[in-house]
Amino acid sequence: MTNVNLGRRDVLKLAAGAALAAPAIARADGPRVLRFVPQANLSSLDAVAGTQYVVRNAATMVWETLYGVDSTFTAQPQMCEGHEVSADFKTWTFKLRPGLTFHDGSAVTTRDVLASLQRWMVRDTMGQVIHGRLDALEAIDDRSFRFRLNKPFTKMLFALGKSNAPMALIMPERIAKTDPFQLIKEYVGSGPMRFRADEWVPGSRAVFEQFAGYKPREEKADWLAGGRHMLFDRIEWQILPDPATAGAALQSGEVDWWELPIPDLVPLLKRNKDIVVDILDPLGNLGSLRMNHLYPPFNDPRARHALLMAVSQTDYMEAVCGGDDSLWQETASFFTPGTALFTEDGGGQLKGPRNYDAAKKLLAESGYNGEKVILMVATDISITKAEGDVTADVLGKIGMNVDYQALDWGTVGARRSKKDPPGKGGWNIFHTWHAGADCINPAAYTALDAGGAKAWFGWPNSPAVEEGIVAWYDAADAAAEKAAAAAINRAAFEDVVYIPTGFFRQYQAWRGNLTGVVKSPFPVFWGVQKT
Amino acid sequence: MWRYAGRRALSTIPVMAIVALFVFSLLYIAPGDPAAIIAGDQASAEDIARIHASLGLDRPFLVRFAEWLWDVARGDLGTSIFANLTVTHMIGQRVEPTLSLMALTLVFSIVVAVPLGVLAAAKAGSWIDRLVMLFAVLGFSVPVFVVGYVLAYVFALQLDWLPVQGYTPLSRGVWPWLSNLILPVLALGAIYIALIARITRASMLEVLGQDYIRTARAKGLGLAPILFLHALKNASVPIVTVIGLGVALLIGGAVVTESVFAIPGIGRLVVDAILRRDYPVIQGVTLMFSFLYVLVNLVVDVLYSLLDPRIRQ
Amino acid sequence: MIRWARRNPGIAVGGLLLALILLAAILAPVLFTVDPTALAPARRTRPPSAQHWFGTDMLGRDIYSRVVFGGRVSLVVGFAVAALTSIVGLVIGVLAGFVRLLDNVVMRAMDGLMAVPPILLAVALMALTRGSVQNVIIAITIAEIPRVSRLVRGVVLSLRELPYVEAAIAAGTRTPRLIWRHILPNTLAPLTVQASYICASAMITEAILSFIGAGTPPIVPSWGNIMAEGRALWQVKPFIVFFPAAALSVTVLAVNLLGDGLRDALDPRLARRL
Repeated sequence: MTNVNLGRRDVLKLAAGAALAAPAIARADGPRVLRFVPQANLSSLDAVAGTQYVVRNAATMVWETLYGVDSTFTAQPQMCEGHEVSADFKTWTFKLRPGLTFHDGSAVTTRDVLASLQRWMVRDTMGQVIHGRLDALEAIDDRSFRFRLNKPFTKMLFALGKSNAPMALIMPERIAKTDPFQLIKEYVGSGPMRFRADEWVPGSRAVFEQFAGYKPREEKADWLAGGRHMLFDRIEWQILPDPATAGAALQSGEVDWWELPIPDLVPLLKRNKDIVVDILDPLGNLGSLRMNHLYPPFNDPRARHALLMAVSQTDYMEAVCGGDDSLWQETASFFTPGTALFTEDGGGQLKGPRNYDAAKKLLAESGYNGEKVILMVATDISITKAEGDVTADVLGKIGMNVDYQALDWGTVGARRSKKDPPGKGGWNIFHTWHAGADCINPAAYTALDAGGAKAWFGWPNSPAVEEGIVAWYDAADAAAEKAAAAAINRAAFEDVVYIPTGFFRQYQAWRGNLTGVVKSPFPVFWGVQKT
Repeated sequence: MWRYAGRRALSTIPVMAIVALFVFSLLYIAPGDPAAIIAGDQASAEDIARIHASLGLDRPFLVRFAEWLWDVARGDLGTSIFANLTVTHMIGQRVEPTLSLMALTLVFSIVVAVPLGVLAAAKAGSWIDRLVMLFAVLGFSVPVFVVGYVLAYVFALQLDWLPVQGYTPLSRGVWPWLSNLILPVLALGAIYIALIARITRASMLEVLGQDYIRTARAKGLGLAPILFLHALKNASVPIVTVIGLGVALLIGGAVVTESVFAIPGIGRLVVDAILRRDYPVIQGVTLMFSFLYVLVNLVVDVLYSLLDPRIRQ
Repeated sequence: MIRWARRNPGIAVGGLLLALILLAAILAPVLFTVDPTALAPARRTRPPSAQHWFGTDMLGRDIYSRVVFGGRVSLVVGFAVAALTSIVGLVIGVLAGFVRLLDNVVMRAMDGLMAVPPILLAVALMALTRGSVQNVIIAITIAEIPRVSRLVRGVVLSLRELPYVEAAIAAGTRTPRLIWRHILPNTLAPLTVQASYICASAMITEAILSFIGAGTPPIVPSWGNIMAEGRALWQVKPFIVFFPAAALSVTVLAVNLLGDGLRDALDPRLARRL
């Protein structure tokens, strides 16, 4: 019972070359098919209820948003014709473009939009802020709708158009009515590609096919803004978890584009004249060492500062980036280097030569007396494994008693949410990383929240950081935003919300015959073609 | 023979029941929480708990076991937690690659190993014998994935004779299908060839040493007809048994081979599912493989009884 | 001595190799090794050199030291599994062979366990717990016990039919004494041979478990997980996988040779059953 959908092209190929077909024609090939190796397995396609990056990347092909950010992070109209906002920023009115259709043929109406937004607001931090100020979200007619807020909200367009997960994707009403904590089971959108659920082999292959009824905007494409001209009939996502296999497949031309080549294989790929290797996401990533602020030893700020004094971002980054020094830099900031809010205010302890003796002394002062420190390491992801190994080493250097627990990403994900004491199923340290695009400002930056029990895993508690975030939301202009960011950074280092392990970028690699590949925080498939 | 076959078939039922109980209870006490993965990176503890409850993971054991057994009996192996597809559908999608890999390996191994074993037995004690046995032992000793990587490196990357990875369905042509399977079959077959060659040699040696063979030779019959007519038939019993037992080896090896060569088969499905704690998939696949194994052994036992009537009592 | 070695090449070569490897593992700290867990990310993936005989891995650790110390884990897993399965399998097999009631129940359970392919069983068991050498040993042991208990039970059943054993029973010999004097000594030979094969297969299973990420934790170097960590780089830095692979292959080869030699020496007829 195989699910090979034989199109006319395949049948002809079969007839023409049944026994003599050479290996190259073995799979659906040709210039109108793109074979892409994503960063991870696509386990579902619900980019609102699930926030994995790989799901978000796939969703940008299948669904659209009302607005879409361009490469300057300014939200431009996408599904909307335009908007009107009251002077006090409390009333926002929007109008949809005419002629938008879903993949099942039905027209996009405000009922679909409203249902989708309601679902999104439950899961998204900016959406929650909007919801908290919402008097009413109502339809005016089939194509117009309005937000009525009781408090001003200046960042509405960004919220609706951002690329950070979860995006405000517009789905048919019946699908959008799914509980926000359940995964949707039907994947129908209005985007340039439709998802071929019948050809989906989870863990191995996901197939997207061009939607004939899509009408791109007229403006030039720029990230999520502008017209999405899809130049492929078919995009196949091939999940290849073994990096050696993926590398070999790219070299032999069996796949066209590899999203996350491991840094060690990059020199080999660069030497291959048929392959282009480049950094497509200049916003990079921030590595993260998260401590548990609820229990000893890291409930005491002195212990946190001791660790801060001892960690060497160089060690972390060398391990994560495979020895390629051009990929990383040290950063004493919680915000993405190269963006508007970047500041190293308050990050002095991360810089300069490491002082293990001072760290040990501070640790002793905090009352640490040799208790076990539970370090959860997700060994199935190269980034977290590298971070975990280096941390185990550092903890040893300052005299801490490490309990290195090798787990998989799923188990880490489960255990990190537990507020139990470390000895009883809880934890002291785990690692992760955040896409630079998620750390440009406090809006989509869940990991920066320091509201104690309501914060992200680790539950840092810093009133100063919380004040800074509120100040940012209320900031009237760019200067005020920068000041708020500086205050947040200082406070975040003062209370050591988490420890950034460094800023790093990652290469992507693709065959030389692909043109139109652009730099962006997520793979952009429109405008790309194979020659 | 049919009565024996019937009795043997009946005896598989309690075995399968135990497997079912074992498989089911294994996963019930597993730690790790699929709810957290579905919830995603930014989820809170309340989100995870809510998803946990909606998945029904906190109802009592016996209730869930009974429900599950009833579903399985009706052919419903459940729905994958992550993919929202039925387990039956997911297995169906991946049956062809794994079956192709296993069947080809089986055929290839038997075709290569039996003659090798016979040859070694015929020239027992000579350098040919020693060489064959050395290769056999090597086949056991080098891990499957090492063989796989070496083969891929030499034949796919350096010489570019064969594709590095992937699987092409048979419907797209015999050669494309074969070309993707040649290296995996070689890698997986090494250990199987070693096993079968050894047993073939040992059985042949035993048979060759028996009186009636020596009588036939003394009477002047040539070596070749003796070997292939009498000896092989008598030696086939343990060979067939080993082939049955070896299916378990094949399944285990297929898991690794599918990982190395990125073959979208059931082996990879189950490894992914286990690391992600996708309960329904793990249960369904393990049950299926066990059923397959029991079935193969049933067939082997019946064949065995055909070849050796003494067994039927 | 030489004549004995020539007549039993399997035992001689296999045994000698194994002894050397064991010695290397035991004497690891004094064999010019450094701390196998010492990180030095700045010196990662250096090829073999005078300073690092086998090169360095992705975190700058010395591969030679990791391989030598890793031998300890693989050997411990191999021997522990062999020993445990033999003991437990012996007990189960003897009990099943003697106690009619238990025979049916226990053998059905063993059949059930055997129906699940051993790798799947081991992986599933490992998924229940955290990766550790202990858990790997337990998981592989559970997967291998059914075969051993079947073997022992088979031997026990066939022994019980032998005339002198029947005579002993008729003479009123008590069961424990019967087991001790007549049954046990005759199970030792096939059990030993089987144990050596299990040792080899356990070492490979550990490597496979680590390869798919369900084996010993990375902080404990074992041949399996050195290979697992290096597999992504095999095309550019093949030495990371090559050295532990060679070490594992040679050790398993030695154990297999030893097993074959023991089998030939102890009872050639076993060749058919195994």
